[in-house]
Amino acid sequence: MSVEARERPSDAVNAPRSKPRKRGRETNGTLSQQRRKLLIPFVGPALTFYVVLFIIPTGAAVWISLHNWAGSGPMTWTGLSNYTALFQDELFKKSLWNTLLLLVVVGVVMFVLSFAMTLVLRDMAGRKIARSIIFFPHLINALVYGVLAGFLFNPGGLVNTLLKPFGVTEPPQWLAQDNLFPLIMLTLTFMTTGYYTTILMAGVDRIPPYYYEDCAMAGANAWQRLRYVILPLTWDVFGVCAVLWTISSVKIFEIVWIFGGSSGSGIPPTQTWTAAVYTYATAFSGESLPAYGAATASAIISLALVTVLVVLIRRVMRRDVIEF
Amino acid sequence: MSSRSARSRTTIAAVAALALSMGVAACSSSADGGQGDGKSLTYWSMWKVGEPQQKVIAAAITDFEKQTGIKVNAQWQGRSNLQKLVPALNTNAVPDLVDGPYIKAYPALVATNQALGLKAAYATDVDGKPASSFVPEKYLKTINIKLPDGQPWMLPYQIQSDAIWFNGAEHPELKANPPKTWDEFVTDLDKVKAKGAEAPIAADGDVAGYNAAWISTLVVRNGGPGSLMKIAEDKTGQAWKAPEALDAAKKVEQLVKGGYFINGYSASKFPLQQQQWAVNKAAFMFNGSWLPTESSTYSAKGFDYQSFPFPTTGTHDSMRVDFSGFMVPKKASNAEAAQKFAAFFLGKKYQDMYGTEAKGIPVRDDAAASPQLAGVQAAIKSATSYHQQNDGVAFPGYNEKVFWPASDKLFLGKMSAQQFVDAMATDQAAYWKAQGK
Repeated sequence: MSVEARERPSDAVNAPRSKPRKRGRETNGTLSQQRRKLLIPFVGPALTFYVVLFIIPTGAAVWISLHNWAGSGPMTWTGLSNYTALFQDELFKKSLWNTLLLLVVVGVVMFVLSFAMTLVLRDMAGRKIARSIIFFPHLINALVYGVLAGFLFNPGGLVNTLLKPFGVTEPPQWLAQDNLFPLIMLTLTFMTTGYYTTILMAGVDRIPPYYYEDCAMAGANAWQRLRYVILPLTWDVFGVCAVLWTISSVKIFEIVWIFGGSSGSGIPPTQTWTAAVYTYATAFSGESLPAYGAATASAIISLALVTVLVVLIRRVMRRDVIEF
Repeated sequence: MSSRSARSRTTIAAVAALALSMGVAACSSSADGGQGDGKSLTYWSMWKVGEPQQKVIAAAITDFEKQTGIKVNAQWQGRSNLQKLVPALNTNAVPDLVDGPYIKAYPALVATNQALGLKAAYATDVDGKPASSFVPEKYLKTINIKLPDGQPWMLPYQIQSDAIWFNGAEHPELKANPPKTWDEFVTDLDKVKAKGAEAPIAADGDVAGYNAAWISTLVVRNGGPGSLMKIAEDKTGQAWKAPEALDAAKKVEQLVKGGYFINGYSASKFPLQQQQWAVNKAAFMFNGSWLPTESSTYSAKGFDYQSFPFPTTGTHDSMRVDFSGFMVPKKASNAEAAQKFAAFFLGKKYQDMYGTEAKGIPVRDDAAASPQLAGVQAAIKSATSYHQQNDGVAFPGYNEKVFWPASDKLFLGKMSAQQFVDAMATDQAAYWKAQGK
């Protein structure tokens, strides 16, 4: 968005003002001709890689999803039946629902927390250190959380041991199958909040101090400062974060895999499956015939979901970029 | 406008075409291709460097290379070797020899029609006899490792089985007189429970496969080898309502309701309960023949690994036999050399080492056993019929999406026996419908 905004002035300079412009960049200037010549050498390599690494595999995945295939050997054409079967499969719907829960519930909680922390950290002493500490959970491999969960929440684990002196003799069954998913949501919030706080803070730090000085002189309170200065000036950063979170949340896999299935030695209970876990278990469970067709169909549905959500988010969050 | 966009469209199309051809070229150039010279073979192993099994196979490779002059390029990939094999089978860069358990090998190689018949390996002379003589015929009656043309597709070198394990040092009375029937077993559970010093049974309830082993073994006890397979194949799902299935579910329910399982088994992380068992917090554990090796590092001092076969509920007393062995993909370029090595590994020397050093159960019943597995090995030798893990059921996604979720609920006390068979009947019918059957 901001790139376009910056391009426009140069276009405007090249284009004679009197002529009505048909399209933004269609001008007769030599500069744009030069630009066009540079299109192939500049865009070509990137486009090549993109096509080879993303477009072709995606096309292949669509093709596979229309077949029954065990990964090698004969493929049988089944048309759209993999897709219809998926939408009749309660487990797939449940997995997709779990993905949406992660996206929305964890997303909202995490953004509220991140934003709150950003505001607190903005004028806190030692904020650089605080920022590193908050970021730290994001650096830790999900495997560690999986192992730690056992250490903390096993029947004789740390949490229950700590609860004992308080008279809790019958603590909740933390790791029971039905409690795993909330625990995963909690862990995810813990893991990602620091990451988005860091990005948001970078956005907030960019705001020149004279706006705050203005606020102070105008007698604005903290809420007004937030509403009229901080929010509008960090809105594009928010938009980017929302898109990033949407994309990464639809792919959440390893934390579920490790948290549930006995730290990776089994398969997690279906109550915790996300669409990504469903895809993996369908293709690579290892203990039953691989169903690559159904697995790729599920992956394609996830891709469609991300695309729709990202487009929607970009629409909802569209504002004029404020240059400052 | 049109000329500009047309030109850029051509550009994009050209780049895309270039990319496409590069992609195709990349796919085909990775192929090794052609017929091998028979002087070397590539082996993708299920073992990793440093594992005791790997050391035994590596020792056999050294001897094999010396005796035959055939070079073995071993890649110690670990348990995901067969998962990696599946995509590799679409290229020409295929290993000549792979190994793994039946339950993983069948989906990867046989169901996809990529396994070579191993007639030559079975006919190879090992210690003066054909290799086929070391894979007893009695196993093959219920364990089908044959291709439609009658040739076996696997040359097994080890057996995995299961048993109910206990510490002989703590329970000499069980060592002298192990329970044989379900009722005797429950009596022993009651005795342990009455004493109160330890829980009767330990179980890691977060491992779905372990949980399902109870119900699937009970079904096989009630109906004989192949009975669970028959039930699972039923397109209507109604087979679950048969008395043998309902009774099996009721027996699991009996254990759950009777409070025989260790406290917290339904909300813990593997291997916590296995560890509890190994330090005498529970008397029994139903687990695979790998349990002694897996728990030896943390078991209590003086722990004496003893076991007895899963109790009978009637006349069926089959033993679980899961083969792990060598397979050769059809596309292998050095199939002959690969089969030679597969047979070579059945030599008494290596089979003995496999029993004593790798602490596995060698497929040859004249091979040495480790003391911990002697009980299981003797039970396999004296048994007359055999069944496989899960009774060999491996339909796409069936275990993960239908059977395990329901058996978890039964085993963890979230469903009664009746609810379990009803759920299986409904879910299985839906499963087969979704499979288009």
